[in-house]
Amino acid sequence: MAVAQDAPSVQTASPGLPPYTKSLLKWSFAIGVIPPVALVAALALKSLYMLDYVHVLTGGAWTGFDLYTGLILSRILRSLEVPARVEVAKRLTPTTFFILPSLSAVAITAGIYLAQKLGEFNLNDPWILAAGAIVIILVAQGFGIFLPNGVRIFLELAKAKPDPALISKLTMRNVRLAASQAVFQILIILVMAHLAVY
Amino acid sequence: MNASALLAIVAFAGALLLVFGYLYRIAAKSHAKGELADEGIRILRWALLGQLVIFLILAITAFLT
Repeated sequence: MAVAQDAPSVQTASPGLPPYTKSLLKWSFAIGVIPPVALVAALALKSLYMLDYVHVLTGGAWTGFDLYTGLILSRILRSLEVPARVEVAKRLTPTTFFILPSLSAVAITAGIYLAQKLGEFNLNDPWILAAGAIVIILVAQGFGIFLPNGVRIFLELAKAKPDPALISKLTMRNVRLAASQAVFQILIILVMAHLAVY
Repeated sequence: MNASALLAIVAFAGALLLVFGYLYRIAAKSHAKGELADEGIRILRWALLGQLVIFLILAITAFLT
């Protein structure tokens, strides 16, 4: 609890979007376009090896982020006072805004192409159906909660009088959701390991 | 062309537009009340454009399989 009081660089929320928001958003976009471009390259080159690499790397990065957020960042944020959480949200939200949807979309799309190319995309297979069900849950959480919360944080920050409590609440909701996504991703990796071996 | 892949990507992009459309309405109301600066609306448009560019690149993949 003393972290926010002891840290002199932590400021209370100031009205309007901070000047670094745009540069963080640009950075997020620059990184976020890499996975779909890599997937386009893998398919254009007809490289199964590269397609597998893109799928595993994007899926692994997505899972890793959610594990880090759910297990580590959540504990750090809980120990901070609301103004300090808002300062983290101001930087975390724009930085992850394009990267995470891009990683998730590419991991899923590359996975479907990979399953089709390997002849594993059989909708009668319970393991493929299990993977599909988990993907639907992950996508619904992403589109239904993660993304809207991120946008709502932006909108709140852009107001003349932002509500720090609301920003903190939305940020903590996303952090908790990342933990639940991590659980589903551990499950989907279990399914993937089965599909890869059997 | 992989029609089912293209359809799935278009469906995702459609869901994205629905979510942003809903949030845009909320933002426009706040803007009309004077609570939200022009910058808020502008950043919402750029955010939507950025997400659509990512989906557009992804849609190209449907024509490569």
